Amino acid sequence: MRALFSDPSRTALNMAYWGFVLYLLVPLTLMMAMSFKDANFVAFPISDWTLDWYAKVMQDRQFLEACIYSIFIAVATTFAATVIGVWIAMLIASTGGRWSALLFALACLPAVVPGMISAISLRIFISTVNMPTGTTAIILGHTVHAVPFVVVMALTRLRSMPPNLVDAARDLGADSIVAFFRVTLPYLGPAILGGMIFCVLLSIDDFVRTFFLGGYRPTLPMLIFAKVQGGMSPEINAMATLVLVVTAAVGLYAEYFTRRTRSR
Amino acid sequence: MTDNSLTHDISAARNGPARRYTTWIPTVVNSALYRSTLGVLVASPRSRFILLASVPLIWMIMLHVGPIYQMAKISFLSSYPIQQGRDVSYTLANYALYFTPLIRSFIYAAGATFVTLIIVYPVAYYVAKVVRPQKRSKALLLLLVPFWAGELIRTFSIIMLLANRGAVNYLLREIGWIDRPIPVLYTWFSLGFGLVYLVSLYMLLPLYSAIDKIPNHLLDAASDLGAGPWTRFRRIVLPLSRDGVVSGCSLVFLTCIGVFATPMLLGGPTTVLFPETISGFFHGASDKWPVGAAFSIIMLVTALTTAGIFMRIVGGKATRLM
Repeated sequence: MRALFSDPSRTALNMAYWGFVLYLLVPLTLMMAMSFKDANFVAFPISDWTLDWYAKVMQDRQFLEACIYSIFIAVATTFAATVIGVWIAMLIASTGGRWSALLFALACLPAVVPGMISAISLRIFISTVNMPTGTTAIILGHTVHAVPFVVVMALTRLRSMPPNLVDAARDLGADSIVAFFRVTLPYLGPAILGGMIFCVLLSIDDFVRTFFLGGYRPTLPMLIFAKVQGGMSPEINAMATLVLVVTAAVGLYAEYFTRRTRSR
Repeated sequence: MTDNSLTHDISAARNGPARRYTTWIPTVVNSALYRSTLGVLVASPRSRFILLASVPLIWMIMLHVGPIYQMAKISFLSSYPIQQGRDVSYTLANYALYFTPLIRSFIYAAGATFVTLIIVYPVAYYVAKVVRPQKRSKALLLLLVPFWAGELIRTFSIIMLLANRGAVNYLLREIGWIDRPIPVLYTWFSLGFGLVYLVSLYMLLPLYSAIDKIPNHLLDAASDLGAGPWTRFRRIVLPLSRDGVVSGCSLVFLTCIGVFATPMLLGGPTTVLFPETISGFFHGASDKWPVGAAFSIIMLVTALTTAGIFMRIVGGKATRLM
């Protein structure tokens, strides 16, 4: 293969890439390093190292409760968003032409509206329908946000599905609902799982919707926000590091999983 | 009712059809008064145009623009109604109250979008075209890892980097370049730095997939014909990756407009962005909700319009956001 680039420009691109990697990774690495610091305040340099902050975090009831609450919301959100998202994707796939473009735009709207605006509009909406702020409202808000991503993922997979699979099932006597559950849904499987993991990450990350829709029980981001505003301590670093490691592991698994199913 | 229409028909029949078409118009046009006034005006093209334009222009300036002008003028006044014996003074304070954050939001979002584009483009190009295909997904994965940390954790890690007792200031002091820490946290710099850090993924992925689609043989052909790296970039890569630029910039812009937690943690009093202003209307008593809702609508419409105009100008008709 002929060299497309002269050496100087290649080196420059190389440096741009590695510089960008450093830019992305250094702050997080520093944040993690600080969680091992044996002192009560956050400041460089780190001279003594300790694991005490982790022990403290693991005994922190507030943190554990926030974890459980966040996970509960994420699971509920994922379930609701998957059902609704796949349903919408099936509708869009079954209509053609101008209508399907319109429906697609409508389905993607919550992904385009800035987070703050979406949170406020939901806040106004739930008070119009007399829903109290709290768990249900948070789940509703997170679901609205997550649905477009499920729709896009499911639709991409649906478009690659040979139409004669469903036709064959219908010929063999399945009605549309049976054909959906026996043929289409298994075919969509990988896309749905990818979408579900995405939903979990979106919901666990979300701050602004929770901030406007939530009650007094803090989710993880709310707890971290309150602690950061309250004052710095390596304890926050330990908390953030734990959350980061777990979410990154889930994300890596999702990436691995989708890559494997794509290459198959 | 039927009676009336019947009598009308009968009377019309009696008078005969011819009467209808004789009008007063010829009499007026031929009169001396008309000829000496309007007739003269209509005769030459220029005065005819003046006649045509007069009433509509006066109407539109008085009633279409006038009220808005009045409102705009009052919005600049320091006090209204104007009191006798006091000088009229003009001020921007009424705008500063809410519009400074709005304008600032737009400036920050546009600036962050531009900077992100400049920073991320070479990286996306490198991953899509320079890295060998087998290694490509690993190179991409390395860039994706930080984005599984949430918005708040990434913002928090920026604080670690930029605080007065943070890593950068410590390093500079150790080297001996500075004696006392440079206060960068809670300024425009830390906020911009954080915004770019937060959103660069939304730029990276569209750009990568757009550049990845450019066939290599186009670049080969260009370099065979004697094009240097800069010409190749300007004439081939940039035009063909236009879709990626458009969707990346729109996504980043809309995300930056809507960030809420980051400016609260990284910004200071001089960098209050519009979302924070809006959220002020929603805390406490609910009687300010309409104001907050109105401002949200203003923000949504201007943000979407800006993104739409940008897409139309840069991307042409065929581009879509997704």
